[in-house]
Amino acid sequence: MPDIISPGTKRGIPGNIEMPLAIERLPNGNTLIADAGDEAGFGSEIIEIDMVGNIVWSYNEGLRFAHSGRRLKNGNTLITDTTNNRLLEVTPDKRIVLNSDEWGNGTGKLSDGSHLHYPNEAFELEDGTFLVTDRNNDRCIQVDREGNVLWSFDKEVQHPHNANPLQNGNILISDSDGNRILEINRNKEIVWSYGDGNIETLWWPRSAIRLENGNTMITDSKNHRIIEVSPEGEIVWKFQTEHIDKFYITHATKDDTFLIACTDGHHQVIEVDRAGNIVWLFRNYRRPFPIYSRLTNGFFKEIDEDGLPKHWILATRLSEGGGKLIWDKENKPRPCPGLEFDRSGALFLQQAIKVKAGEVYKVAAEIKTIDVKGSAAVHIDFFDAYGGSLYHVITEMPSGTLFTGTNDWTLDSFEAKVPDRSTYAELRLFLNDKGKVFIRNLMFHKV
Amino acid sequence: MSNKDEILEKKVNDSKKVINEAFDRFPLENLAITWTGGKDSTLTLWIIRQVCQERGIKVPKCMTIDEGDPFPEIEKFLKEWSTKWNIDLEICRNEDVLKAANYKLGATVKVKDLNERNQAEIKRIGYEEDEFPFEAESYVGNHLMKTVVLNQFIERNNIKAIFQGLRWDEQPARRKDEYFNFREGGELTPAHTRICPILHFTERDVWDTIFKYNIPFCELYKQGYRSLGAKTTSKKLSDIPAWEQDLEHTGERDGRRQDKEKAMEKLRKLGYM
Repeated sequence: MPDIISPGTKRGIPGNIEMPLAIERLPNGNTLIADAGDEAGFGSEIIEIDMVGNIVWSYNEGLRFAHSGRRLKNGNTLITDTTNNRLLEVTPDKRIVLNSDEWGNGTGKLSDGSHLHYPNEAFELEDGTFLVTDRNNDRCIQVDREGNVLWSFDKEVQHPHNANPLQNGNILISDSDGNRILEINRNKEIVWSYGDGNIETLWWPRSAIRLENGNTMITDSKNHRIIEVSPEGEIVWKFQTEHIDKFYITHATKDDTFLIACTDGHHQVIEVDRAGNIVWLFRNYRRPFPIYSRLTNGFFKEIDEDGLPKHWILATRLSEGGGKLIWDKENKPRPCPGLEFDRSGALFLQQAIKVKAGEVYKVAAEIKTIDVKGSAAVHIDFFDAYGGSLYHVITEMPSGTLFTGTNDWTLDSFEAKVPDRSTYAELRLFLNDKGKVFIRNLMFHKV
Repeated sequence: MSNKDEILEKKVNDSKKVINEAFDRFPLENLAITWTGGKDSTLTLWIIRQVCQERGIKVPKCMTIDEGDPFPEIEKFLKEWSTKWNIDLEICRNEDVLKAANYKLGATVKVKDLNERNQAEIKRIGYEEDEFPFEAESYVGNHLMKTVVLNQFIERNNIKAIFQGLRWDEQPARRKDEYFNFREGGELTPAHTRICPILHFTERDVWDTIFKYNIPFCELYKQGYRSLGAKTTSKKLSDIPAWEQDLEHTGERDGRRQDKEKAMEKLRKLGYM
């Protein structure tokens, strides 16, 4: 019998906020939150909560990794259903009145022949058209409700986020891979920018908003801070927390406070005042997956009803769709599992295990890869008591050999010291980009 | 004196500081040295010996692990220099596993043929098969032949701290290692401290120091071996002597650093997480 420390909650419980990515304080004082869902691809939803945390409205039908939900003037909600590559408008009684899949005679194509690819933000403009950030097409576009592209900015930006309209008619856009914030005018000229491309200045900025005082509030996501920058480029205010938080978006309220989405840092939305005090917070997170007292089924002998190795989670959090768990049926003495992926991003096969700070663990596994374009490896992520990872980026996590290309079965082992404040570890096999990786004889023990 | 000489001298002196601190912190009888016969552990032993001479004390007990697949050249080297340097060297092996494997590499070992201690170790690390191949590529074999042997040596001799010849540049995972590394004890594992006095030496520094001070080394390096482990898993990357190879641009253990850095860069760019 597996020894389970914490069983995990049922998946997809409404209101369980795993990964908030967009937030908005509505005129009635409620807060609209877009939750991308858990790492296995469940639980994405748009919820509206009141000031005491009651869920007064929600929508989740068919959503996959939805990045934004914005309340329209007509009372409907505009949703970017990111992994489904579509835009939805739903009424308060949850009827879909606009679905971009229906554009182009049901092909989902826009008037320029393209298809939305990983859209992450959509705002309604004054004239009722939409400004959409179409991340994997490296552009932001203005479209009408019939899918006609009226304007497009597709130069200069790589994997942009959160393009939003300014009062002067310009657009503020986060050029995330370019590590810059750009303000562009309707003639597609850059009229203001911040960030020199260096990650010390901005690292994967995820949102920027223009404040009434003329400054710009930037969510500098991988530097784990929010910074307010003057038109001259001076940092005049900043906010950070002690732990490694994953801030993804900031929204300014009418009360000169800021709502911040703390994604999978601590799975919560906080409201911060100018003094840096957290004046309001919404956290309703229960881990969807169990935590085991020790590695369980590391030799993949047991298989569950979904055909996955029992006690293991196929995590698709970093994937943009696609990818699956596969089995090497030829393996002796029994089939062993693997991952297959066909696009950029990453897939994980993982299990959470209880650990204590200061302990040293050794991990060993045999790995085989076939045509891996990016890399594949076993690594460990350590988490604090609130479910927040203790690492800034994936490359900081203790890891075994990074396998690229094709490799026959190779024994790989490494040691990891449990950092301060960690309460559990996630032991993972990951695959970045195209290819296949297989794993067998996985061990995890104290040294 | 050249700049390079000064740098090497400073590196040796920094190692001596670590070793002196170890002698201040631990009684001599509770200290030991792992000596594989490879260049790094031989350099470590050589520096420790210098410190012992300066302090007028005897060199701590040394141990070497016989994994059942040794190079005769290393055995010869260890024998020759332990005699010349008057070293108390204990050769340790897991006799129970060797017996179960009939002293044959590649043989299949049945878990039930092993003694209680070895069976308990197998359970502890989470190995779930009934048998394993007796070879260096087998993790369980490796664990029983190396880790368990080291732990038992530590227990048997009441060792509190043990010197090792690890270096930061050996692999990225080592980069955060500290000179003194306390290992909490646990089930079947004795608490002890690992001391690594030459962490700051690069592979090049090791060779430069060996030649500067005329420190002995095993002849296999002259044949082209860069790194020595078990006989079947140590591969020559070239036929020219180790120190004449392009140490800065090829890996001691693999030759694909470029690929790895590209993969790391790609990973670093991943959006979420």
